[in-house]
Amino acid sequence: MSAIVTIQDVVKEYNLGATVVQALRGVSLTVDKGEFISIAGPSGSGKTTLLNLIGCVDTATRGRVEVAGKNTAELSERELTDLRLNTIGFIFQSFNLVSVLTVFQNVEFPLLLQNKLNAKERKARVEALLEQVGLLTHQKHRPNELSGGQRQRVAIARALVTDPLIVLADEPTANLDSETGQAILDLMKSLNQQKGTTFIFSTHDHRVMRYANAVVRLADGKVLGRESPEDAVAHAMGLETPKHAEVRTP
Amino acid sequence: MDRVVLLVRMAIRNLLASPINLLIGGLILFGTLVFVILGGLLDSLNQSMQRSVVGSLAGHIQIYSSASKDELTLYGQMGSDPDLKAITDFPRIEEALSKVENVKMVVPMGVSGALITSGNIVDTTLEKLRDLYKARDGKPSPPKLAALPRDELDRRIVSETSHMRQIIKVLRGDAEKAMTDMLNGTAVDPYNLEALRRVEHDEFWADFEKDPYANLEFLENRIAPIVTDTSMVFLRYVGTDLDKFEQSFDRMRVIKGTPVPRGHRGFLIADLIHEEQMKLKTARRLDKIKDARANGRLIATDDELKRFVKENRLQTRELVLQLDGIKTQALTKSLQDALGSKETAIGPLLSELMTTTDENFDQRYQQFYGLVVPQVQLYRVNVGDMLTIKAFTKSGYIQNVNVKVYGTFAFTGLEKSPLAGSTSLMDLMSFRDLYGYLTADKAEELKEIQKQTGAKTISRENAEDELFGEGAEVVAEATAGVIDPDTAMSGAGRKLREEDLVRRVYTEHEFNDGVVLNAALMLNDPTRLDETLARISKLSDEQNLGIKAISWQKASGLLGQIINVFRALLFVAVAIIFFIAMVIINNAMMMATIQRTQVIGTMRAIGAQRGLILSMVLVESMVLGLLFGGLGMLAGSGVLGAIAAKGIAAPNDVMYFFFSGPRLIPHVTGAPLIIALVIILFVTVFSTLLPAVMATRISPLRAMQADE
Ligand SMILES: Nc1ncnc2c1ncn2[C@@H]1O[C@H](COP(=O)(O)OP(=O)(O)OP(=O)(O)O)[C@@H](O)[C@H]1O
Ligand SMILES: [Mg+2]
Repeated sequence: MSAIVTIQDVVKEYNLGATVVQALRGVSLTVDKGEFISIAGPSGSGKTTLLNLIGCVDTATRGRVEVAGKNTAELSERELTDLRLNTIGFIFQSFNLVSVLTVFQNVEFPLLLQNKLNAKERKARVEALLEQVGLLTHQKHRPNELSGGQRQRVAIARALVTDPLIVLADEPTANLDSETGQAILDLMKSLNQQKGTTFIFSTHDHRVMRYANAVVRLADGKVLGRESPEDAVAHAMGLETPKHAEVRTP
Repeated sequence: MDRVVLLVRMAIRNLLASPINLLIGGLILFGTLVFVILGGLLDSLNQSMQRSVVGSLAGHIQIYSSASKDELTLYGQMGSDPDLKAITDFPRIEEALSKVENVKMVVPMGVSGALITSGNIVDTTLEKLRDLYKARDGKPSPPKLAALPRDELDRRIVSETSHMRQIIKVLRGDAEKAMTDMLNGTAVDPYNLEALRRVEHDEFWADFEKDPYANLEFLENRIAPIVTDTSMVFLRYVGTDLDKFEQSFDRMRVIKGTPVPRGHRGFLIADLIHEEQMKLKTARRLDKIKDARANGRLIATDDELKRFVKENRLQTRELVLQLDGIKTQALTKSLQDALGSKETAIGPLLSELMTTTDENFDQRYQQFYGLVVPQVQLYRVNVGDMLTIKAFTKSGYIQNVNVKVYGTFAFTGLEKSPLAGSTSLMDLMSFRDLYGYLTADKAEELKEIQKQTGAKTISRENAEDELFGEGAEVVAEATAGVIDPDTAMSGAGRKLREEDLVRRVYTEHEFNDGVVLNAALMLNDPTRLDETLARISKLSDEQNLGIKAISWQKASGLLGQIINVFRALLFVAVAIIFFIAMVIINNAMMMATIQRTQVIGTMRAIGAQRGLILSMVLVESMVLGLLFGGLGMLAGSGVLGAIAAKGIAAPNDVMYFFFSGPRLIPHVTGAPLIIALVIILFVTVFSTLLPAVMATRISPLRAMQADE
C-alpha cells in the first residue's frame, strides 16, 4: 500500500510571547491509503496540532509534511486551500455546520467551491451522500433543527461529498453520547470500507480507539508508538504496558 | 453564478438573524427616501426653473463681450445691472454663431432699466385747458380741437376748469391734513399754502377769463409743483430684435394691444408691471380681492383683504383727481342711483361704493368697472401711448427716448411671477438710443447733422417744412442719442419726428448693425448645452470674436445658484444620514465577523479561498443596502408620484417662476435613483471593507477550536 501522508521529524512550535511551546517534538509518521487510523493521547499531547499539519491548515516549524505526494512547506496559501478543498475532508468535534444553510446546502457547499459540477450533478451527489448517512429526508432542515448525531452525519456527508483521499476528524465523537458516537464511528468505518477513503481521527476515548486499524499514541508531542487497537486500549486504560509494541517506522 | 446565489442567500439569512440590520436598513431606507423625494423635487424644480429662465429671457446660452468688467447676470446682482462692454460687431458674431451646430437662433439683446414718467394730473389738465383756449382763440392747436365748434369748446373749458378746481380742493385738503399732522414732520410750505388759498377763491376763477394764459402759467408754476406724486415707474427692459424674440421665446404672448409690427420701433410693457404699477390702485386692489375671493378667502376673515377694503374706502383721492366737472356730475348721479344714496359729494360717494363686504363685493366690483372706470384713466400708460423713457447713458447724461407702447405681454404660466414679469421689451433701435452708445465714426457724422438741423429747427413754425422737405430725412436719420430732442425740437416738430420714428421700418440688417450688449442663443437640443458652450468658446478663440458664452443657469446669477444651494444642503443632509449608517454598518459587520470566526474558519478549512470570504461579507452589506435602498427608492418614487398626481401649488407669486407656472408637477427622474444607487453601493462597500478584510484574515485553524 502506498503512503498518502508522510511526516518526518516534524517539530511544531508556538510562540507565546517570550516562551516557545513545543507542541510536536520530532514526529514521524506514515499513513497508507485506505487506513482507518486513530491518533490517541492525553489532552495537550499534540493530537490536534498533528491533524492540523496533515490537514494543511497549519505548517510545521521544522521537518517534512507530505500530503498526497505534495510537500506542504512548498505550497502557497492558495495552493494549500485548493489541496484542502480537493484532497481532504474535515469532520470537527463541534460539527461546524453553517447554521444559516440547510442540510442540503451545507453538504453542497464544497461542491460549489470546487465549481466542477452543474446543479443537477451536485444534487445527485449530495442526495447520494445524504442517503448514505441516512438524512435524505432531512435535507431541507437547518442544523439547529437536528440532534448532535444528525449534525455530525451531515458533517460527514460534507466531508465526503468531494470524494477526498483523506478524511480528518478531530475527536468526532467528543460532543456525542457514547451510543451516538459509536453509530458515527460505524458510519465512518463503513464509508472507509466501501470507498477506501483514508480516515485519520483523534481521540482519547478508548472505546473509540477500538474502531481503528491502528492507533498512533502521542504523548508530550512525541509518538510513543503505533500499535493495535487492543494494545492501545490497554495502554489507555493503564492496565498493562505493552510487551510487544509493534512500532513501524517509515 | 451558483456561488453568487449561495452568497446572496446566506447574506439574506444572516441579515434576518440580527436585529441591528433592521436599524441599518431603516437608516438606509430613510436616507434613500429623503434623497429620492427631495432630489426628485429639486430636479423638477431645476427643470421648471430652467423652463422659466430659458423661456422668458435667457435662452439656453447667453453671450456677451469677454472684455466686460462684470459677469453677465440677467436678473441683476444686488440690484444693479452688470457693467458689460458693448458688442460692436454683432453681424460678424451672429454669422459665426449661427453656423455652430445645434444653435437654432441668435437673439441680440441689451438689458437695462429706466424711470418713466407720465406727467402729473395738474400738468395734463393744464395742458388740456391751454389747448382748449388756443383752439377757441384760433391759435395753433391740435387739429382735433381746432375742428370743434365754439360752444363745445366752451363746454369743455368749463368742465376742465371745474376739474382743476376739484384738484385744488383735494390739494388743499391734503395741505390741511398735513397741517394737523405737523407732528409727523410733513411740514407745509407756507409759500405753497398761500398759492393754494389764492386759487381756491372764486375771485381767481371769476377773473380767470381775463387773461387765461397768464393764469394758466400761474397754475403751472405754483400749483403743479405741489403735486409730488408724479408717477414715476422704474421699468426694466430688454432691448431686442422683437421679431426674433417672439419667435424664440414661444411662451411669450401679447395680453393687451398688438405685437410691435415687424421692423418697427416700439415698446411692450410686461403685463404684470402694467397691472401692478400702472393701474389705478383702487382697481388693482379690487382685482386682488376678487382673485382672493375666488380662491376661497373672505373679506370678513382675511386681514389683507380687510386692509384692501379700508384703503379703497379712504383713498378715493386718485379717482377724484381725475374727474373733471362733466364727469363728476355724471358719476355722482349714476353712483347715487346705483347705491340708492342721497350723498352729493363725489368723495363720500366713492367711499360708499368701496365699502365692500363679502355680500356686496361682486355687485360693487361690477359697479366700479361699469360706472367709475369709463370716467377715469384706468392705466397711467395705455396701449397706443407714447412713452418717454429717461435713462442715464453710458457717458452719464440723461437721455430721453419716446417710444410707442403697442401692448403688454406675459409668458404663459409665468403671468403672476414678479421675476419673469418685471422685464418689458423694447426695440433695439430705441435701446441703442437710450444706451447712448455710438461708434466713433457715426458720432462724428451725427455731430455734423446736428450742426445743420440745430439751426433749422430753432423756429417752430418752419419745423414742418423742414421735416417734410429736404431736412426730413436728415432728422429721421438722426439718433436721439446725439440730438437732445428737448432742445433740438419741441412742440409740433418734436411730435412729427416722433411719429416719423414710429412709422419707420428697419431692416434686419439695421437691427443687427449696431451695439448689442448680449445675445440669447436658442439650441435645437438643450441637453447638449455644455458641448455647445465649449464649441462656442473654441470658436471665439479661433476667430477672435471676443465673446464669452455662459449657460442660462450662470446668466441667471444668484437665482440660478439657488437650486445648487438647495442641492448642496440635501447632499449634506443625506451625507450625514449615510455617514451614521456607515459607522453603524462598520461596527455591526465587525461584530458579526467576530461572532462568525468559527464559521469563517470552517469555510476556509474546507477549501474556501480568501476572495470568497471577502465577497461573502461585502455581498451581505450590499444586499442589505440594496434591499432597503430599493425599498426607499420605491417608496420615494411612490411619494413623488402621489405628489405629481396633484402637483404642488405655488405658495406665492415668486414661486411661479421656480415652478414655471401655478403648480410644480414633479416627475420621477432616473438621475436621483441612479445617484442613490451609487451612494448606497459606495456606503455599504466602503463601510464593510475593513470587516471584510478582517474576515479574510481569519485562519482556518479557528475551525478546530471549540466554541468558547
Ligand atoms: N495556538 C496555540 N498557541 C500556543 N500553544 C498552543 C496552540 N495550540 C496548541 N498549543 C499547545 O500545544 C500543545 C498541544 O496542543 P493540542 O491542541 O495539539 O493538544 P491536544 O492533544 O489536541 O489536546 P486536547 O486533547 O486537549 O485537544 C498544548 O500544550 C497546547 O497548549
Ligand atoms: Mg485537540
